Amino acid sequence: MENLFVQLLVIGIKILVILGVVFGLGAYLTWVERKVAAHIQRRPGPMVVGWHGLLQPLADGLKLITKEDIFPRAGNRFLYNLALVLALVPAVLTFAVVPFGPEFEVFGVKVKPILTDLNVGLLLVFALGSMAVYAIALAGWASNSKYALIGSMRKAGIIVSYEAVITFAVMGPVILAGTLSTYEIVQQQINHKLWYIWLQPIAFVVYMFAMLAETGRVPFDIQEAEAELVTGFTVEYGGIKFGIFPLVEWYVEVLSLSAIAVVLFLGGWSPINIPFLGFVDPLFFLGPLSPFVWFVLKVALLFLFVLWLHWTLPRYRIDQITETAWKVMLPLTFVNLMLTAILAPIVWR
Amino acid sequence: MIKKVFEKPLSWLERIFFVDFIRGLSVTIRHAFSKTITTHYPYEKLTPPKRFRGFFGHKVVNGKEPQPAFDEWVERLKVEVEPGRSRCVVCLLCKRACPVPQLFEIEGEKLPNGKRRISVFNMNMLLCTFCGFCVDACPVDCLFQSDIHETASYSRKDAVLTLEVLERIGRDWQRRREKEPDRIWIDDAQRMRLWHENDLKLPEVKKQ
Repeated sequence: MENLFVQLLVIGIKILVILGVVFGLGAYLTWVERKVAAHIQRRPGPMVVGWHGLLQPLADGLKLITKEDIFPRAGNRFLYNLALVLALVPAVLTFAVVPFGPEFEVFGVKVKPILTDLNVGLLLVFALGSMAVYAIALAGWASNSKYALIGSMRKAGIIVSYEAVITFAVMGPVILAGTLSTYEIVQQQINHKLWYIWLQPIAFVVYMFAMLAETGRVPFDIQEAEAELVTGFTVEYGGIKFGIFPLVEWYVEVLSLSAIAVVLFLGGWSPINIPFLGFVDPLFFLGPLSPFVWFVLKVALLFLFVLWLHWTLPRYRIDQITETAWKVMLPLTFVNLMLTAILAPIVWR
Repeated sequence: MIKKVFEKPLSWLERIFFVDFIRGLSVTIRHAFSKTITTHYPYEKLTPPKRFRGFFGHKVVNGKEPQPAFDEWVERLKVEVEPGRSRCVVCLLCKRACPVPQLFEIEGEKLPNGKRRISVFNMNMLLCTFCGFCVDACPVDCLFQSDIHETASYSRKDAVLTLEVLERIGRDWQRRREKEPDRIWIDDAQRMRLWHENDLKLPEVKKQ
C-alpha cells in the first residue's frame, strides 16, 4: 500500500516537472529564437522588457491572454477547439518517453527520470507525431478560410510524406540497439561504447530533414509561408489560441524531436564518445548531475542548430519538398537499412 | 543578343556534403557573432544630415541674409525688417513653386507707416510631399527644411505649421546647425558605428 503511494507520488512529481519544463521552456524558447534571429540579422532583438528583454515572454503571454477571442462566423466551433487540444496533447505526451538521465536513488526510492519506460516507446513517439496531421487538418477545415485550408493541406502533405521517411530513418538505431524502448536504446549505446551517429550518419541527416519538415521549420515552413498564406492554418485563431500553435509546433515539437534525436543518435545522457573505446567526460566535476547536464546540453545544441538553419535558408516549394521526401530521402533510408544490416554484427559482438 | 546565364549546378560531392548549406550557415554565424548595427530608436537617435528634408521653418533676420537679394526684395516690396522675426518678404514664390499650392496660406498686412509685413503663413503638412521646391524658390533664404522628422501628432490641427511655429523652428535651427559645414552625413561617429566595415572616409570640408 505504502509502496503504491510512493510510486504515485514519484509519478506525480515527474509529470509536474515535465509539464513545468516543457511549458516554461517553450515560452522562453520564443525569447531564444527572437534573440538568435535578431543577431543573425545584426539586430539586438528584444531589449526593453527586463534585462536584455528577459521578461518578453511574460509580456507576450499577457498580451495574448488578454486579447479578444474571435471565432469565424461559418466555422465549426467544436472542431476549431478540438484542433487545439489535438495539437497540444500529443506534442507534450511525447515527453513521457524521453529519458532525461540514468536511474538514481532518492530517500531509498529508485527513480528512473523517464515518465513511462515503455518497451515500445519509440513507436509511441511516432504514433503521436502522426496525430499532428489531424490537429492541423482540423484547424484548417474548422476555420472556414481558404488560407487556413491551403496551409493545412500543405502541412498534411508534408507530414504524410515525412512520417514514412522518419520511421525508416530510425530503423537503423533500432536494429543496432535491438529494442524500441528509449531508455534501453541509450543503455545499449553506453554498453556498446558507441553513439549510433558514427554508424548512422545518413539516418541522422535524414532524421534532421524529417524533423524540420514535421515541425514546420525553414526550409519546410511551406504551411505558413507568410508571403502567400498569411500564417497558414492559424489565420483564424486569435489570442492565446493563436499563441499555442506556434508554441507547440516550433518549440515543443522541436524540443521533443531533438530529444529523441539525442536519444537515438547522440547517446542520450552519455558524455563525449570515442567510437568503440569509451566515453570522455569533461564535466566529471558535476558528479551525479553530469548525465543530466549532458542531455540538456545536447538537446540545446541541436535546438540552436535548428534555429540557425531556420534563419539561414530560403523556403522550398511544396513539390520540391515532397519530391525530396519520396525520391531522395526514402531510398536513402533503404540504403541505410542495408548498410546497417551489414554493420550490425560488429556492434552486437 | 540575349545571353542566358544559369547558375553552375552543384556537383554530386557538393550535394552529398551540403556545401551550399554550409556556405550559407557560415555567413549567418559570422553575422550572428559580430556587432549589431541598429540604433535603439526611442532611446538613441541619429542626427540627420544638414540637407535632410524634414519639417519646414522660417529663418529669422539675424544679419546673415543673402545679399544683395534680401535688400533688393525688401526695397521692392517695402517690407518692414524686424531683427529676430521671419525674413519672409511675402513674394508668394513658394506657393507658385508648390505642386500642391493649397497647402500654403500666406497673407501680408500693411502697417500704419506704409510698410508691409508677413501676418499669416500656414503650411498644412498633411498635403506636403516634402519635395523642397518651395525652398529652392525662396529668394531670401527664409523658408528651409529642418532635421525635424518625428512628425506624428494627435490632431490634424497640429500638422499645420503656423508662422510662430515656423519661426521657432528657424531660430532653433540657426542656433544648432547654421555653422555646420554642409555635408551628406554630419554625424561621423554615428555613421562609422553603422558602417564601420566599409571604412568610408569623406573628404574634410573646410569650416566657413
